[in-house]
Amino acid sequence: MSNILEVKNLTMHYETLDGDVDAVKDITFNVKAGESFGIVGESGCGKTSVAMCLLQLQAENGKISNGSILFDGQELVGMSENDLRKVRWDGISIVFQGAMNAWNPVVKVGEQIREAMREHNPKSTKSQNTEKINELFNMVGLDSSASERFPHELSGGMKQRAIIALALSCDPKLIIADEPTTALDVVIQDQILTEIKNVQELLGLSLIYISHDIAVIAEMTDKIAVMYAGSIVEIGPTEEVFKSPKHSYTRSLLDSTPSIMGEKKKLRSLEGEPPSLINKIDGCSFSPRCPSPSNECKNQSIEMGLIKVGIDHYADKCCSGCISE
Amino acid sequence: MYKYIFKRIYQLVIVFFLFLVTSYILFDSIPGNAFQNMLLNPLLPPGAYEQVLALYGLDKPLSERIVLYITNFFKGDFGYSYKYYPKTPIELIAERLPRTLMLFAMVNIVSFYTGFLVGKILAWRRGSKSETWITITSVFSYTVFYPWFALMMLWFFGYKMDWLPIGKFLYPEKWYDAPFDSDVIFTLMIKFTVIVSIIQFLIYMFTRNIESLNSKRNLRFFGFILNIVGSFIFWNTGDALTKKIYAMDIAYHMILPVITVTIVAFAGTALLTRTTMMEVLKDDYILTARAKGLSQRRIRDRHAARNALLPVVTSFIFTIVTIIDGSVLTETIFSWPGMGQLILDSVLNEDIPVAMATFSFIGVFALVAHFIADISYAYLDPRIRIQSQG
Amino acid sequence: MDNLKNEKEIAKSLRRKAISKNWKLFKQSRLGMVGLIIVFFFFILSILQPILFLTGIWDQGTYNPVVGYVDQTQDFLVVECPKEFPTEKYEKRTDCPGRNEVNIKTLFYSDGEVGETIQLNLQPAPPSRDHILGTDSLGRDVFSQIMEGSQVAFLLGILSATLGVGISTLLGTIAAFFGGRVDAYLMRQSDLVLMLPTLPLLFIISAFAELKIWHLAVVLGTIGGLGGSVITIKSQALQVKVKPFVDSARITGGSNMKILFSHVLPNVAPLALLFMVFSVTGAIASESVLSFLGLLNIEMSWGLMIYLAQVEGYIFSGLKFWWLILPAGLSVTFLTGGFYLVGRGLDEVFNPRLRKR
Repeated sequence: MSNILEVKNLTMHYETLDGDVDAVKDITFNVKAGESFGIVGESGCGKTSVAMCLLQLQAENGKISNGSILFDGQELVGMSENDLRKVRWDGISIVFQGAMNAWNPVVKVGEQIREAMREHNPKSTKSQNTEKINELFNMVGLDSSASERFPHELSGGMKQRAIIALALSCDPKLIIADEPTTALDVVIQDQILTEIKNVQELLGLSLIYISHDIAVIAEMTDKIAVMYAGSIVEIGPTEEVFKSPKHSYTRSLLDSTPSIMGEKKKLRSLEGEPPSLINKIDGCSFSPRCPSPSNECKNQSIEMGLIKVGIDHYADKCCSGCISE
Repeated sequence: MYKYIFKRIYQLVIVFFLFLVTSYILFDSIPGNAFQNMLLNPLLPPGAYEQVLALYGLDKPLSERIVLYITNFFKGDFGYSYKYYPKTPIELIAERLPRTLMLFAMVNIVSFYTGFLVGKILAWRRGSKSETWITITSVFSYTVFYPWFALMMLWFFGYKMDWLPIGKFLYPEKWYDAPFDSDVIFTLMIKFTVIVSIIQFLIYMFTRNIESLNSKRNLRFFGFILNIVGSFIFWNTGDALTKKIYAMDIAYHMILPVITVTIVAFAGTALLTRTTMMEVLKDDYILTARAKGLSQRRIRDRHAARNALLPVVTSFIFTIVTIIDGSVLTETIFSWPGMGQLILDSVLNEDIPVAMATFSFIGVFALVAHFIADISYAYLDPRIRIQSQG
Repeated sequence: MDNLKNEKEIAKSLRRKAISKNWKLFKQSRLGMVGLIIVFFFFILSILQPILFLTGIWDQGTYNPVVGYVDQTQDFLVVECPKEFPTEKYEKRTDCPGRNEVNIKTLFYSDGEVGETIQLNLQPAPPSRDHILGTDSLGRDVFSQIMEGSQVAFLLGILSATLGVGISTLLGTIAAFFGGRVDAYLMRQSDLVLMLPTLPLLFIISAFAELKIWHLAVVLGTIGGLGGSVITIKSQALQVKVKPFVDSARITGGSNMKILFSHVLPNVAPLALLFMVFSVTGAIASESVLSFLGLLNIEMSWGLMIYLAQVEGYIFSGLKFWWLILPAGLSVTFLTGGFYLVGRGLDEVFNPRLRKR
């Protein structure tokens, strides 16, 4: 399968009053057509920044200093706003974190979806659009009458489903789901995850699923990347990573999540906090919190960088030594 | 909800009652009275002054007069003007109000529309050079010392350039053999303006749901042209034709005040729109709209500006309330004989019935507007409904 | 004891940090800085005048803004203005008399024939080295009047704004905090104040009380403080009231008063400060309007200068006597504009949603 998205050495920082914040550091990954790719990490590790970079929607003070984003053979970094408009939603669409606020409160839900369709397929008629919306609503498990309502008349779960319908409305090749279920209760969360999974398989889309919840990622994705403090510390096929995590951060994440299956284990939580990204970090950014750091790690003498540890499985080289206990 | 409305109405009545009492006491506390200069007239027989006072009931103690005034007020009797004796305050207001409304309705519509447009662009172009310059201009016209600015405008356009008339609202020489009062023309002009704006508004509303952007724009433009043609036909046929020259005369006199007040008034709206719009632009749905690949213009007009409109509309309601209050200065400078001059005149001459009537007119106007704003807000936004129960 | 001291020091350093951060944010807004510079400029003007008098650089007799006078004479050519225009010499009616000429019809106090050159008192005199903004028709130095006017503006603006915001903050927080009847009463009271038309109200007050600056400041402050700002402050205080830290203060047994003063008020303060800056603008404008209409009993102010220029008919002489018209009007405009810009800058500091980043 060919790669639909190739991200190479992407580096992005926010310019703030207190100094530059390096939110995304030298990130490289590929997503194949029809594949679902997960990005997992703590809050503030730069997951959402990556998502925004992919759409070129980063905040005004977020500057991409290096790297390239190839989508379907097109270079997105440095593309003009008008060309980007064609890529957005038609090529890449996104399901935002807070569905509550992602809807314009004064416009009907259906109209907001139709608006996007009108922009990208100007030739289709109103009835065609409406038909498609109804179809999409059925697909995500919503009554088609919901399209004639205002956002505040829908419940949180309904809004989130409608957002998924919105994301699908222009038949994108890639959907980015940025913690789409964070604000919802567990039952609805599960329904929506199933919905996303179904739709993705049905339509053969590529999916980038972003979450802090490693359990959800395990369920949803074929391949995952673990992010810590703006860099990818481990990347590989989901099964492989879960079976034999090579980075001690991945391991800590797995250890801190309870598992229903298998033997009972004591949960181990990770001490400390992620580092502030405003200061430049020498060596491994994870070493201060690492439960079993190697000497080299402590001395901060190794530069970070991925090395191959298995088939299609890479981990940060600082930690590749310390994990083999 | 109904309980809330009833409670508010009950409170409103009390507030209005207090308002009447306060105003009366205020007017009464001005030293002297309307007939005082009779004392200076040596030709009047002694005792005439006291007789006049007794005639108007001014010899009674304050408390008695207040009670009398308020009971009569609620019976619908506002007394007679002291200065323009046989006229009642209602007649005076009916004569002056159209003039003020004509002038300021025009100004407010124009200034809110331009202000909203300018504010929208300001927020959108944040950080650009043009934004800085437009902001500086708006701040200047917002804080400019109004009477001074109005005088400078009068001097420049009326005197130095001699393009526009100075003061007054018509050329008296043109009206010598006019078969009707100026008020008739004013009323006609107001009716005309209101109907034209309603038609324009309806055109806007009806074309709102049209799917294709192109045909929507064309239809709106067509409607606009139709409206203009319609008004042209109206003024050139039948009854309106005879009134046309007089209406033109009044319109000609209106140009300078309208321009002056608009320059000062639009800036407030522009700056307010800018602020609210900038807050709206930080909302998540703007990001959604951008992610959807919509055009900048569409994001600005459809998503940002529409949400920024609510506070601006509120401020519009409150501005309408202050029309009469705000007209005092303008009407004095441009010698426009409207409500503002009537208030000033009645206060300075201590013409208590007229002053009370104008004050209570403003009071009722303000109360009703506040009430409507309150209720509609509570209706629109459930969060406010809980807060304003007190 | 040591602990307490330490705590105080920590609080102090925190406050200092917050101030320096806010200052950094304020500096981001370029127009806010422009406003600050304008306000500072007028502030310098207002304190410069007493200094000049005290050091004797200016002597009271010449430069006093109210009673100062200095003889200024100049040679004038006496002419007779023709009845019809244009003539060879003059194009329009306004061109006669021209520079250094005087119309014989306006010579009341001295004799002269057409074509003769006579010495006349030159008041209002155009700007010269002694009087950088010239003098008014009574021979008073305009620059000194501008300085006096800016003293009046600062005094009045800051006094009435402080008073007004003090009242509205107190009432607004009380209304929000106690709610119920107190709230209903206070809200209806501000309805009542809002109903009264401001300008006619000020006319009435100026009719039965001779308004000096102090009185006017109190009146403006009270009207402003009881009116609409109470409602805005109340809604802000309501938002603070439901914040978790107020609840936790209540749970730990803080008295109502303590919570009001140490938790609610400080959080309403930024908005109050903002209001204060904006109401300075309003107060200066109101004073100028009242003086402009000749309703105030004060000796000198910017509004009064324009009033005099208008009453004496200089406004329609156009720019011939620009020093009587422009400086005063522009001063009012610029100072209010400066305060407005400062307020806008502060708005960006306190309202994160307005910030660029």
